Amino acid sequence: MNEHWSLSRRKFLHTLAGAGVIAAADLAWWDAPFIAPRKAWGAEPVRFQFSVPEPTRIALVTSLVQRFNQSQKDFEVSVEFVPQAQARQKLISAISAGSPPDLCQVWDNWLGQFQGMGALEDLTARVKSWNHQQDVQPTAWQTVTIGKEIVSLPLSVTLDAIFYRTDRLKDYGLKEPTPDWTWDDFLSLAEGFTKADKNQYGYGMRGAGTWAVLYPSEFAYANGAEVLKEGKVVINSKEGVDALAWYMDLALKHRVTPPSAPTDGFVEIVEGFGRGITNMYQHNSGSVGQQKKNVGVQNFATLPVPIGPAKKRASFYFSETLTAFKAARNKEGAWRFMSYMLEDEPSMMYCKTLGLLPARKSILDQPDFAKDPALSGFVNSFPFTIVSPYLAYPGWGGKLDSDGVPLIQEAMVGKISPKECLDKFADVLTKNMA
Amino acid sequence: MSTVPAALGSRRVRPLLSWRTRRLLNGYAYLVPAAVCLLGTVVVPIGKAIQLSLYNDVLYKPQDYHFVGLANYQHLAQDPVFWLTLWNSFVWVFGSVVLQFAAGFAAALLLHQAFLGRAVVRTVALLPWIIPGVVVGLIWEWLYQPNYGVINDLLVKAGWMHERVAWLSSPDLAMAAVVFANVWRGIPFFAIMLLAGLQAIPGELYEAARIDGAGVVDRFWHVTLPLLRPIIVVATATRIIWTFNYADLIFVMTSGGPANATQITSTYTLLQAYSNLDFGYAAALSVVLLLVMLAFTAAYLRVTHGVEETG
Amino acid sequence: MRARRIPANFAERMLGGPVLWTGLVGLTAFALGPFVWMLLTSLKNRQELYATPLEYLPRHVTFENYVEAWTSPLTPFSRFFLNSLWVCSVTMVATAVVSVLAGYAIARFRFAGRDALLLIFLATQMFPSVLLIAPLLTQWRALGLIDTYQALIYSNFSFTVPFTVWMMVGYFSSIPRELEESAMIDGCSQFGALCRVVLPLAAPGIAATAIFAFVVSWSELLFAISFTTQTNMRTLSAGLLYMVGQYEVQWGPLSAGVIMSTVPVAVLFTFLQRHLIHGLTAGAVKG
Repeated sequence: MNEHWSLSRRKFLHTLAGAGVIAAADLAWWDAPFIAPRKAWGAEPVRFQFSVPEPTRIALVTSLVQRFNQSQKDFEVSVEFVPQAQARQKLISAISAGSPPDLCQVWDNWLGQFQGMGALEDLTARVKSWNHQQDVQPTAWQTVTIGKEIVSLPLSVTLDAIFYRTDRLKDYGLKEPTPDWTWDDFLSLAEGFTKADKNQYGYGMRGAGTWAVLYPSEFAYANGAEVLKEGKVVINSKEGVDALAWYMDLALKHRVTPPSAPTDGFVEIVEGFGRGITNMYQHNSGSVGQQKKNVGVQNFATLPVPIGPAKKRASFYFSETLTAFKAARNKEGAWRFMSYMLEDEPSMMYCKTLGLLPARKSILDQPDFAKDPALSGFVNSFPFTIVSPYLAYPGWGGKLDSDGVPLIQEAMVGKISPKECLDKFADVLTKNMA
Repeated sequence: MSTVPAALGSRRVRPLLSWRTRRLLNGYAYLVPAAVCLLGTVVVPIGKAIQLSLYNDVLYKPQDYHFVGLANYQHLAQDPVFWLTLWNSFVWVFGSVVLQFAAGFAAALLLHQAFLGRAVVRTVALLPWIIPGVVVGLIWEWLYQPNYGVINDLLVKAGWMHERVAWLSSPDLAMAAVVFANVWRGIPFFAIMLLAGLQAIPGELYEAARIDGAGVVDRFWHVTLPLLRPIIVVATATRIIWTFNYADLIFVMTSGGPANATQITSTYTLLQAYSNLDFGYAAALSVVLLLVMLAFTAAYLRVTHGVEETG
Repeated sequence: MRARRIPANFAERMLGGPVLWTGLVGLTAFALGPFVWMLLTSLKNRQELYATPLEYLPRHVTFENYVEAWTSPLTPFSRFFLNSLWVCSVTMVATAVVSVLAGYAIARFRFAGRDALLLIFLATQMFPSVLLIAPLLTQWRALGLIDTYQALIYSNFSFTVPFTVWMMVGYFSSIPRELEESAMIDGCSQFGALCRVVLPLAAPGIAATAIFAFVVSWSELLFAISFTTQTNMRTLSAGLLYMVGQYEVQWGPLSAGVIMSTVPVAVLFTFLQRHLIHGLTAGAVKG
């Protein structure tokens, strides 16, 4: 029928016209969208992905990148900021799609999986001829060495310690703890700090995120337990179970933890302390900067984790790394930027601004780090720190999140016993040793 | 059918293709733009994902990459967490959609009336939809915070509660809490969609019913509802499917916790994909979810007589 | 606007009066509540934000959060805003055109495979968009579309088109066929009937779906982050996440950002929502 014919033709023409208008309008904006990273001065630019962009870090990293670009004319580094929650996803998608950035700032616990994907560039040769190789702490090198290959440079390092309120300590007339305090000291301090009517709690226990499993593991080490012994998973040994039971009793029996503990991640425990809801919490040095602003420089201090019944203690060592990828197009440029970031001044600027600890001993010994009371807990923990045992197998990284954390949460709300929790967890770990 | 009546004064054209074929082409021609949009952006990736689910694809073990047939699906069937997430998904979806629909419908009816400042109230009703899901999650997580969140603060001050409740940290309350946040976010969808539908109902039909003696409830039941039926079906079906797949809110507020109490299948898929890097298993989970939703939608459309036209 | 009728009985009077007003107040409070909190938060400085016990009203109103967010070169909200506006407007227009066509065809023409096609449209929505990222990334990179508006617009189609087609089918189906048929008997061509009868009646529906296509792409986050690398190509939603730091959420700037990203859309909607009022039906159905 003619109507249908003319109808469909007209509609078709309308659609084309519409599409044409859109295309034309889009063309007008072409100059903005089609600016690819400018090939400055000839060579391929180095794409650097930095996660955790919040204004302080953005300013810092941008200025460091600019200074580097000004210092040499061979190539340009362009930095891309990706919000932290999406950073890992984006990186993985990019690697799978065969187009990773040239250089990325990643945490060391991501490296195992990336290495398994064959995505990382082997830097061993370059590191051996690097002038600061000896200056970097051996433990730091451990975190970036997989098998025999060194795959990244440690940009900053961190370990866990306990933050506590010094002003409230005085207000409540509590005994000042010493760096050699024991579990009993810790418990009595937490109890002294807990004033439920004032909405204050002694210890901001963490229930969400990978570190929800790592903190109790550190306590387990203080009781003489271990994760791996002679190639077998032994986290569920008697010492491990006892340690976890003691740790969970903080929440279940002594009630020194806030009710939100089972789902508190790093944001919540930092904010909790910052708002004065909790008077102690366990974390790495990264939140020192925030607490100086939230709570006030003179109102808090840090201590190493307490000594356990086995007269030992352990703090897990982590590094924030700069990692280059095999599929990168400008590997020489990536290395030059990486090594620049570990020079004296950039490293000092980076670590000082963010409250992190430098990987190089000579910088760590400077008074900015060695003499800061807020950092003393961390600096004093170096003697007994160990690399996280959970880095041993690449298959373990994801399992901590998917299986370990729910188990800890169940134990924290009293649904399962500590023994059950650790037995199941040991099971998962054993199954994924590959 | 009859040929074109001469009275319409159109030109007589000898058709090249038979009338039947042309009719078919007409119908399909309208669909070409939509099909093109979807082919590139959805259909091809879905095909790839289905293919992926038949392989053992763990990203950090590329040497183990091989065809495993239905092994991922077997693993799925034996995974107790999967069944838990499926149950949670149903609770999540039906809880959210039923409440959103009820509240949204009520809102649409309210906004349909004539009153001063209607434009402003309609805009206000749309607001919860405008913010990205991730930010909604952050905001509600803050509101629910037991120690410094507004909800507990107000409830305690009003005297309705004496203890501070940890909404998101208690395995029993967490799902209800995230559903509530999702309801807040989803009401604008129903409110605006149903409002548009209400506006399209000709006023004469109400008049005719009134003259026939029908009261308010009768008019609603016999005029409004039947005419809105296609839109209700379509809006609820869309919403159900979206909510099944909606991971952002839960991911941000509870990450599926505590202890998998709020873990739904789509957040579980995310976990498998990006924490465990097991893309084969994640693809299998998505395919199963797809099949579940397809089956449900087909049944739903059949039961509600789908989008067959009303009177 | 319909003329005000005098309520006939008690039920109508109740519904017109107290029920209406209670309902409206409840709706407004519920929808607006969190926004009010965000607004108050955005006007506080850091000390007041972290004060316990909780303070509601800011003691010293400060606009530093807004200034910081809008002008800071690190998080150029002005640029984010323009990007979002462009991407979402184009998405909205293109989706509306495409879905009106497809929706009309599916609703009116009976052809083989119609029901299956409907289901396929719906099925494309049933797939988690997270898993679409990797294949889409490969595609866009191959086409050189990373850091362009096109990549975002085309990716937005993946979730706006199915939903808008589906909604338009619903709206067109609820318009009785008799209206077109009686218009055609009166001497209209089918196309004329479409323009004069169906489209005006469906106008609220078209407006609603267009608005939703806009709003849904406004709040879209995942694609915006995955397919862009440069800060000045990011959209507003992606920009908001710049306020979520490593160990804390910067509530001050984040609330300012939230308010800034909702207000323009709200204003836009206030102007557009009059299209939700149905147009002419005079003479549509006789007898």
